[in-house]
Amino acid sequence: MSGEKVLLNTEWLCDCGGCHIALVDLHEKILNVLESVEIQKCPVLTDIKEYPEAEIGILTGSIRTEHDRHAALEMRKKCKTIIAFGTCAVYGGLHGAGLAHSREELVDCVYKNSKTTKTDFVPSERIDALSHEVTPIDEVIDVDLYLPGCPPHAHFIFESLTTLIEKKKPETNQETVCGRCRRVMKKTDVTEIKDPLEGVPDEHTCFLSQGYICLGSATLDRCLAPCPNHGVACSGCAGPSMQILTEPTRDIRTEVADRMSRLTNIPAEKVKQRIESSAKTHYAYAMATKMVGNKPTFLIQKWIADVEAQ
Amino acid sequence: MGKVLNLAPVSRIEGHAKIAIHLDDTGNVEDAFMHIQSLRGFEKFIEGRPAEEVPRIVNRICGICPWMHHTASNKAVDGAFGVTPTATGHKLRELLQVMAHINDKILHFFFLAAPDFVLGPDADYSVRNVIGVVKAAPELATKVVQMRQLGQMMIERFAGKAIHPIAAVVGGFSKPLLESERQAMIKDTQTLLDFAEYTLDFAKNNVFNKYLEVIKQLGVIKTGFLGTIDKNDKSFRIFDGDLRLMKADGTFTDFKTEDYLDYLGEHTEPWCFGKMPYAKSWGEGFDMNLDAPKGIYRSNTLARINVCDHISTPKANAALEEFRSVFGRPAQQTLLYHYARLIELIYACERTLELLNWDGITDTNVRAEVTPGAGRGVGVVEAPRGTLIHDYTTDENGCITKANLIVGTTHNIAPMNMSVKQSAIALIKDGKYDQGILNQVEMAVRAYDP
Repeated sequence: MSGEKVLLNTEWLCDCGGCHIALVDLHEKILNVLESVEIQKCPVLTDIKEYPEAEIGILTGSIRTEHDRHAALEMRKKCKTIIAFGTCAVYGGLHGAGLAHSREELVDCVYKNSKTTKTDFVPSERIDALSHEVTPIDEVIDVDLYLPGCPPHAHFIFESLTTLIEKKKPETNQETVCGRCRRVMKKTDVTEIKDPLEGVPDEHTCFLSQGYICLGSATLDRCLAPCPNHGVACSGCAGPSMQILTEPTRDIRTEVADRMSRLTNIPAEKVKQRIESSAKTHYAYAMATKMVGNKPTFLIQKWIADVEAQ
Repeated sequence: MGKVLNLAPVSRIEGHAKIAIHLDDTGNVEDAFMHIQSLRGFEKFIEGRPAEEVPRIVNRICGICPWMHHTASNKAVDGAFGVTPTATGHKLRELLQVMAHINDKILHFFFLAAPDFVLGPDADYSVRNVIGVVKAAPELATKVVQMRQLGQMMIERFAGKAIHPIAAVVGGFSKPLLESERQAMIKDTQTLLDFAEYTLDFAKNNVFNKYLEVIKQLGVIKTGFLGTIDKNDKSFRIFDGDLRLMKADGTFTDFKTEDYLDYLGEHTEPWCFGKMPYAKSWGEGFDMNLDAPKGIYRSNTLARINVCDHISTPKANAALEEFRSVFGRPAQQTLLYHYARLIELIYACERTLELLNWDGITDTNVRAEVTPGAGRGVGVVEAPRGTLIHDYTTDENGCITKANLIVGTTHNIAPMNMSVKQSAIALIKDGKYDQGILNQVEMAVRAYDP
């Protein structure tokens, strides 16, 4: 029986573990998946410590230490198809703030300048040191398929696993979060950008129309739009839309500014400036990838310096 | 020169760790360590960000207990901005956090811990997992999967995201609960409560009674405990209250969450990225010596069960009384974390029903008005893995200038190291060990659910 099954390995690198929980959260569908898939290495579920040969390898998290790099290389060696699973694996994720903070700044904050710790050293014995910055996995190994999302919604996980098991070509829906959002876009005469805490947003109208910054139009849908459908603007956790990734001069801020200026009476330049002024928040998930970090228009260090100079 | 046994990674836990057991020339344990190998540095990279954005950023510290980071962070920002959430907003936050506890406990007990007990600690490692449980007990496994689905979907339907939530906001909650949603949740939670009671009975018969000898020995250490109690009646709380720091002899001190700096410190070892909190207020420093530990306390389920005077919900309280009549207070046996976890599972279901049955829960006044500004706020909740502390300072624009976080699991890093060493010394003699023995060392860690 097990001989006919598709063999699967998973491994987590530097991450929060949420992507592995998202896999478990296929719920009853996981029982369907188990009928045709044999889970081998999977640190959260099994005790297989080595890396057996497998058809599919799911890698979550990004690369922060030598341990992570080694694990990614081993997975590549043993798995025919590697899926970069989740925003950290694909883009570096939230902790990929390497462009905003150096490794030294991070460890000094945690060990030397903490309210509860009085230490004058950084741990370094018998553990792998942190690399200088966080890297998405495709800078270290070849990746066959990308499934961003923080975490990806079960709908997309099941769809992608099923197509792989059935040896079909995976669907690649390229819609943005707006495609799944139930809010209605309409032209308004709003002239000022609102802070997230200002007033209570109308639940039926597009956040942009109301003057609230929402990254839905600049973000790939791998979530089914839960945030705007539950009262909260999109923060872009699944990473940028295909348009932003493929067009050198398009960017999160230009995309949102364009759309927002057309839906309101707020000038595009004003929206761009607002996003630049809190760039660490609006570019939080994908700044470690060269696809965003190396864009000629992406000047996060300058934007941060500008805010600090004020 | 002896050798080092590396267990890497520690598996069926919810984080990144490895164990190194150092043997001397005769093959006996010289020392043992649990190394935490991951560091991301959230305290630094939330600096400068608008504080109201932080509650959905810090979720990503832990994908297993994101709701607790979400609520602790919202409380800290409330404090910094000087806002009191509306009564309904406050209760909705508690509701969602307590519901998240239900799913977490089902996940840990059945998916991660149960294989050691259902299949046995010495079962072949290639089948000693939840998939092996599915094969050995398919009906139970299907039921478990259904129950976890019920719990997670209950959260997802109402609050949008179960993993990395967004629905709690500074000042309260982003949306009200509809009457129809409330009725559906009451029905589902009743089903979960029935399952929780079944689970505790199942575990008493098949795990705790059967493995009583193992429980008495494996990973047992003597420490203090930290947990949250109700401000008034000192009963068990996981969402708000005061903190209680108990010594191994059962004496204790209660304090306000915002005063945590006077009671807790964090020790650093050069071989572990995770910092090790200790009881600074005991004035004895920090030492992981198995016979005479200094400053060491534990958190998470067993700690909460030990520190509370009683539990406010009837079924969980009956289970607590039975537990205490057998194991005393404070109970020190590490594997009893599992037992305490299932008492908490019953509490979480009962408390969810209490909150859903509260008249004001469907009120539409879910969010207080908020003005960002300068201040400091400390938000504390009980995460499944222990007391979770978020401490933020903001500037006049409402941006974070300083953050200090003590995450649930870290309280138990020193105790886990001690339990690893204790179990390794007890189990590995004269160079004799096998995969079953090494798995038992991992079981000592697994009980803490790191």
